[in-house]
Amino acid sequence: MSEKGEVDLTGAKQNTGVWLVKVPKYLSQQWTKASGRGEVGKIKIWNMGKPEVTFTLNEELTVIEGIDTVAAPREHPFTMQTVGGQTLAVFTETSADKIALEGMVVQRAECRPAVSESYMRLKRLQIEESSKPARLSQRLEKAVATNYKPVANHANNLEYERRKKEEGKRARADKQHVLDMLFSAFEKHQYYNIKDLVDITKQPVIYLKEILRDIGIYNVKGTHKNTWELKPEYRHYQVEEKTDE
Amino acid sequence: MASLGSSSSSGTEYIVRVPKNTTKKYNIMAFNAGDKVACSTWTQARMERDMSARRIYGEEETAEGAAGSEFGKKQREEARRKKFGIVTKEFKVEDQPWILKVNGKAGKRFKGIKKGGVTENASYYIFTQCPDGAFEAFPVHGWYNFMPVAKHRTLTAEEAEEEWGRRNKVVNHFSIMLQRRLREQERGEDDEDEGEKGGKKKKKGGGRGGDLRIHDLEDDLEMSSDDSHSSGGEDGESKPKAKKDAGKGKGKKKKKKGSEHEALEDSDDGDYEGLEVDYMSDDSSSEEEPEKGKPAKADEHPKGIDELSESEEESEEEKQNEEETKEEEEEDDGKKTPVQPEKKKKKADSSGESESSDDSDIEGETASALFMKKRTPPKRGGGRGSAGSSRTGSRPGTPSIDSGSTSSTLRAAASKLEQGKRQSGSATDTPAAKRLKMEPNSQSPAPSGKSTPQPASGKSTPSSSDVQLTEEAVRRYLIRKPMTTKDLLKKFQTKRTGLSNEQTVNVLAQILKRLNPERKNVNDKMHFYLTE
Repeated sequence: MSEKGEVDLTGAKQNTGVWLVKVPKYLSQQWTKASGRGEVGKIKIWNMGKPEVTFTLNEELTVIEGIDTVAAPREHPFTMQTVGGQTLAVFTETSADKIALEGMVVQRAECRPAVSESYMRLKRLQIEESSKPARLSQRLEKAVATNYKPVANHANNLEYERRKKEEGKRARADKQHVLDMLFSAFEKHQYYNIKDLVDITKQPVIYLKEILRDIGIYNVKGTHKNTWELKPEYRHYQVEEKTDE
Repeated sequence: MASLGSSSSSGTEYIVRVPKNTTKKYNIMAFNAGDKVACSTWTQARMERDMSARRIYGEEETAEGAAGSEFGKKQREEARRKKFGIVTKEFKVEDQPWILKVNGKAGKRFKGIKKGGVTENASYYIFTQCPDGAFEAFPVHGWYNFMPVAKHRTLTAEEAEEEWGRRNKVVNHFSIMLQRRLREQERGEDDEDEGEKGGKKKKKGGGRGGDLRIHDLEDDLEMSSDDSHSSGGEDGESKPKAKKDAGKGKGKKKKKKGSEHEALEDSDDGDYEGLEVDYMSDDSSSEEEPEKGKPAKADEHPKGIDELSESEEESEEEKQNEEETKEEEEEDDGKKTPVQPEKKKKKADSSGESESSDDSDIEGETASALFMKKRTPPKRGGGRGSAGSSRTGSRPGTPSIDSGSTSSTLRAAASKLEQGKRQSGSATDTPAAKRLKMEPNSQSPAPSGKSTPQPASGKSTPSSSDVQLTEEAVRRYLIRKPMTTKDLLKKFQTKRTGLSNEQTVNVLAQILKRLNPERKNVNDKMHFYLTE
């Protein structure tokens, strides 16, 4: 079992040679649609002096989705190139973060479609498609009048008022109870805004402030501006070493 | 499907497959042809993502939960960022560079940076031939350009700029990294032993000659003669060691010296303005001397003071200080033992004469001062100053002591000569303040090449001899004959001992207290005497 980071060098040792082929976008798209075992076509290699390669796309894959009028060309000769200026190696990474060296690139090639009428048409369509702007200005016949109508009371407001009534005024709970809530809140965070505390404890502000004045301090300046925190003697944080409450 | 045999015109056909279910992602590892990377030669390789950019990209993590955190801080921060339109780029692991380490620790290292725009307009596929003859095509997920990473140390931007400024002057470029390494060594050691041996270790580094070093007076004063021995020894050792570490041969050292000298020329400071030339030194040989001096120093063969002082590679100013400090030490050492017998003898001879003669200006304070206890530091500077001229002091008696005493005192005399020439008075304070180095070899045996007047020249009145107010001296007097305090004071005249009136009185009082001599009244005067 190889550990993380360890590169499996079997491919390099065997000196497996691979080809690096540049393939046009539409072709690769077609290839992704391949069915079954993934057969996409055939490749023919001639060895007349220079090696000549041609790729023939399978019949069924010539149909391009979305474009009815034109089909993808079938013949694609490869242009062979040298690997000269660079040493190219191929490595793979699995989802489990295992890295393996597959081999070295011995040949570079470019897959070119054979120039044909259908290909030209196809290309033209593609260009037209890509040159369309993403945003479109369109003229409307009638002005839109359905958006902002005057309303007696907005739905939002109604909602809000209803909620408020439901909740009712906040009742002063038992002081001890409130203190417990506060302490548990301050256990989680050191600094609190008064509004947040009101929210947490559901107490009226004045009452809460009184209690807070007892056990906490109000930071006027500094980084934690306008926040409440517990008095030092009540604090018991891990990082600081203070006395217990 | 099996590949077909030859179809039309000597071509072979193969089936191309594009597998669908690949869990593996294929990537290209591109090396520059010039690096001559042969993957087949690799025995072992490790590759990991370089996550060093994470902390740059990652948001600041304030304390989460409990101490220091605020309620709803994150949301507030996010809202704030959106309000100001700050867009922070996410840290994508996929886009981070790779770090490839080949052949373990000693092997090469490569950094692979992702090349952008590879999969935008065209797709790359890897065609591999399968055992059944068909080709399989895998899409390339990413392209990484791998570059070798320098393992050797490089200069930082500031250092590079510095060196660029000196490019016309520095001939030897090897020395640049050398000095940098030395400087780092120096800094590393400074951190370690700050307090005690700060001064010495700094010297050891031997970096560019112009580093400013400021020492506390206390530190320097603490370095007494005892310390100087041990520390000096270390220094002597550490110096050659430092050279060994740094040096790659004498040639390099020499060149380094050369560059140092050249660098020194650049200095705009008036550091070297008021420096006084050492008249006894030979300037022409100053360049060779430092190197020879160093190995020589380790041998510790007797050297003249001049040679020693010269054989430092530090600036003249420091040499000056060293000499002074050397003198200090000599005087420290030589003070107690050798000088005493010498003085004793002298005193013995001259006591008869000086008793009646010589007015003492200490009359009034004698009685009360006797019982005071106060130590006064011996002020050698003044006293020694008078010893500038030839030391043809009376030298009766034991040769062994004399030779030892002679040497150190002669040395002291010689150095005094120089000192007298160089400075005017107050030798004590300034050397103490400027004392940067304790010279070990100054302690070592007698200077060979000193042509000083022969000591054993028989008895003669001491013209300008050092007189020390010590217990021994007092004891000698009191044994010989009973004396009054007044007489004793007359013996230790201020001119000779270098002490002030009050000091003399105090010291004498102390000594008498210690000796506890017997008293008898002669002529209505209290006489002290001792019986052995």
